Amino acid sequence: MALLELKNITAGYDQNIILKDFNISVEKGEFVSLLGSSGCGKTTCLRLIAGFADPMNGQILFNGKDYTGVPLHKRNFGFVFQSYALFPHLTVFDNVAFGLKMRKMDKETIRREVLDMLKVVDLEGFENRYPREMSGGQRQRVALARALVIKPDLLMFDEPLSNLDAKLRVKMRVEIRKLQQKLGFTAIYVTHDQEECFAISDKVAIMNKGVIEQMDTPSEIYNKPKTEFIARFVGFENFFDLTRTGSCAFKAANGAEIVTGSDHASHSCKGCIRPGDVSVHAAGADVVNAIEGRVMVSTFLGQHNQLNVMTDIGEFVVSTDQTQVFPVGETVTLSLAANKIILID
Amino acid sequence: MNRKKNFVWPLLVLPGVLFVTVFMLIPLFSLCLTSFFPDQTFSLSSYFSLFKDQYFQQTFVRSIRLSLLSTFMCALLGFPSAYYISKYSRHKGMMMAFAVFPMFTSPVVRSFSWMVILGKRGIVNNFLVWSGLFAKPQDLLYNEFSMTVGFVQLFLPQMILALIGVMDNIPDDLTLAAGNLGATRIGSFIHVIFPLSISGLVTGSVLVFTGCMTAYTTPQLLGGTDTRVLATMVYQYAMSLRDWTQASVVAVVMIVCTMAISSIFNSMSRKINPMA
Ligand SMILES: Nc1ncnc2c1ncn2[C@@H]1O[C@H](COP(=O)(O)OP(=O)(O)OP(=O)(O)O)[C@@H](O)[C@H]1O
Ligand SMILES: [Mg+2]
Repeated sequence: MALLELKNITAGYDQNIILKDFNISVEKGEFVSLLGSSGCGKTTCLRLIAGFADPMNGQILFNGKDYTGVPLHKRNFGFVFQSYALFPHLTVFDNVAFGLKMRKMDKETIRREVLDMLKVVDLEGFENRYPREMSGGQRQRVALARALVIKPDLLMFDEPLSNLDAKLRVKMRVEIRKLQQKLGFTAIYVTHDQEECFAISDKVAIMNKGVIEQMDTPSEIYNKPKTEFIARFVGFENFFDLTRTGSCAFKAANGAEIVTGSDHASHSCKGCIRPGDVSVHAAGADVVNAIEGRVMVSTFLGQHNQLNVMTDIGEFVVSTDQTQVFPVGETVTLSLAANKIILID
Repeated sequence: MNRKKNFVWPLLVLPGVLFVTVFMLIPLFSLCLTSFFPDQTFSLSSYFSLFKDQYFQQTFVRSIRLSLLSTFMCALLGFPSAYYISKYSRHKGMMMAFAVFPMFTSPVVRSFSWMVILGKRGIVNNFLVWSGLFAKPQDLLYNEFSMTVGFVQLFLPQMILALIGVMDNIPDDLTLAAGNLGATRIGSFIHVIFPLSISGLVTGSVLVFTGCMTAYTTPQLLGGTDTRVLATMVYQYAMSLRDWTQASVVAVVMIVCTMAISSIFNSMSRKINPMA
């Protein structure tokens, strides 16, 4: 049974529905990322799970128990805010101790646990500083320690690294991942940085317009996107309609025969391929999955050239080797690598 | 960020400085002088005799007591209202307008309305008698009770405004974080909202306290002859007894007291929230 399950959740602000029939389930010990463009409802989703807001409809199940009406202070979920939300009037020690004090633990235990946790996040000796006397990365670690020290059943991160510079982001995400593997907590991590979420998570859920389009392991998402939205998200740029003619055999809109590495159930579907998986040959070359086209634009991109080639089945973006030079206007033959074509509905 | 030194900008404050100097600092200074030079020579005798005077002692203590009590009541009543208006109200603008509405009427009018409300045949007494709590109408007017009521009503808006000012600047994330860490609503109020609102509480308290100490109309109209306060005493000395020296001595005492207590408020706040 999943640790956390959101079932048919509808939520929003007043008349404005943000999540509609939203479903997600998270297993114990998993690190799940929610990825999606700005404003698609990621924060809204976390706020529901944390109990900061109530859904209009649907259920939040935790360990099989209905958590929908449970007030936030009884949920024992940790939350790392995008703004960190450290208490400005409390020292680092008191910030981290806050949750334990609310749990009425005795002073000595609190002291020990807090100092231990500060050691874990590498902030020994900072106990008596105030948040405003610390750097962004240090504050973020205080926020992390404060959320971790209560031993939450579930830890949520709302874009915790978005205020940091690129170098520190990479460092911190490795640290978060290490901590998660060491302590084994279950986490939901919101970000809109694709690289970050692929690097850090066991599973990635990609959101689009208030629903999850696909939830899978990073490599599964990268290699087998299920929808056009996801495919575009992970770097597929060429899309074309196909009609199935046999097992792994298809016909493009212009009649060209296309063979693929995998098969698809329905009669008509869409194929897509990354620019790097299309090779360019002289016109009339005898290659697999050949498509004729004319070079429209040629762009130098350093390691390779990018060509925009107009074909009968649409415009293709392809990357070519630097040594291959195709002048604008020339007719070429594109070859689509069979096992790199992904079929989507 | 450093703005270049410029000779024009300082001139902008000149009118304000001049005004304050001519109409406030100089009179204040001469007031002090008068109090220290009762007979053209320096002497503290006016102060000594004043503080020995039992009537003054009572008035002095009463003034401070009533002002502190009113400040406390304003804080007590103002805190929840400000908290609600700032954090939970859906019609904030309207609620603020309601809160400050009393400020649009003059203290004289408000005092008179209290006379109607608290009088022997006022609605409060009518209710007390009707409900059987008391057999006869009570003396609710011309005593410290009516004065406190008047003060609280007069200065509550100031307290609420000062508090809303700081509470609006407390990010909602902080209360959510407190709740998330296991604090109940009351817990997050005590541990987060309250300490972070201290600076507003101090500002509000200083405003209310100085207001109560210096208010004249309310104690004059709602107080009785045996509940004089310093402000009415100054008037009495100056206008009825024509004793300007004594009046200025009382005035100086008032200023010193008000400043002293305001600074005590300030230092207390620093204990609770060292970062404020
Ligand atoms: N308090 C609010 N009142 C009304 N609408 C809101 C409120 N908060 C968010 N929204 C709207 O809800 C939608 C989803 O917001 P949400 O904060 O969940 O987005 P997000 O996915 O977290 O985006 P980002 O990546 O920019 O943080 C947005 O269109 C936003 O305009
Ligand atoms: Mg967000």
